[in-house]
Amino acid sequence: MKVFHMFKFWDWIIIPLIILLSFLPSVVFTYQQGSVSADSNLEAVVSVDNEEIERIPLTGHEGNEILDIPEVPCDTNTVQLQDEQIRIQSSDCPDQVCVLTGFISTPGETIVCLHHRVVIEIEAEDGHVENEILSY
Amino acid sequence: MTKNQRLVYIALLASQAVIIGLIERSIPSPFAIAPGAKLGFANIITVMAIYTLSTADAGKVVGTRLVLTALLGGTISTFMYSASGAILSFIGMSIVHKLGPSRVSIIGVSITGAFLHNVGQLLIASWIAQTWSILLYLPVLTFVAILSGIAVGVAANYLLTYVEKLHYYKYLRESS
Repeated sequence: MKVFHMFKFWDWIIIPLIILLSFLPSVVFTYQQGSVSADSNLEAVVSVDNEEIERIPLTGHEGNEILDIPEVPCDTNTVQLQDEQIRIQSSDCPDQVCVLTGFISTPGETIVCLHHRVVIEIEAEDGHVENEILSY
Repeated sequence: MTKNQRLVYIALLASQAVIIGLIERSIPSPFAIAPGAKLGFANIITVMAIYTLSTADAGKVVGTRLVLTALLGGTISTFMYSASGAILSFIGMSIVHKLGPSRVSIIGVSITGAFLHNVGQLLIASWIAQTWSILLYLPVLTFVAILSGIAVGVAANYLLTYVEKLHYYKYLRESS
């Protein structure tokens, strides 16, 4: 019995359909980010347990900086700010997803640590205001 | 199949799924690019249940497996992840299976299951973290899901063809 002969007609419909569906969230997100203007000020929003802890302005920041945010339980002195990028540089969680995400810098990007329930999200501060001005 | 045979068969499938799940949990993930991605071999049992039992009885197998795995060393959050994944993938697999054996093979059913399992888990994860951007992770997981879905489908196909009792139950299910 050959593996290839096990496939039936609808399998070849299901596989491309699943691949297309898996890119649906990416398409929606790119579409949403298209509405954010390029010259808006970016902020990194750090939240723990769905509570906003700190807003860090990113646009115009220069140099390397280690932030001390005691509310972030991943590790001590773990949030690193380099120029206009931000990352979590170390964590004691088992999966290390947050560390592997690396630096983020564009609006909508997130670092998520499910273990410690930490989310760092980049937001455009005045991205929507510009659209309103245009409509006057 | 008598009523007792069916009961024992449901219990056997559920316990096998629990054991496979527990063994799989102790193996570190082989996919370095996708932390949290599992091979999902417990899906073999769900696929076999769908092919050999009525939809209601296959649902009992899935439900028993979920509760037992949660009781054997799970937490509320792992239960929510596995429950949303398992229920979504079970519903999807039942629907795809309804297309009939002449149209869709076991591989198609198991790939659907693996994919929807990931969708369910990511939905719960993004609900817990309150951000939808976790769903951007889906393409990587789908790639892994298609590979493991093919592996599970091939394995289940061999089992259903060569294990005499399973073959007979599948025949009963298709003729009823």
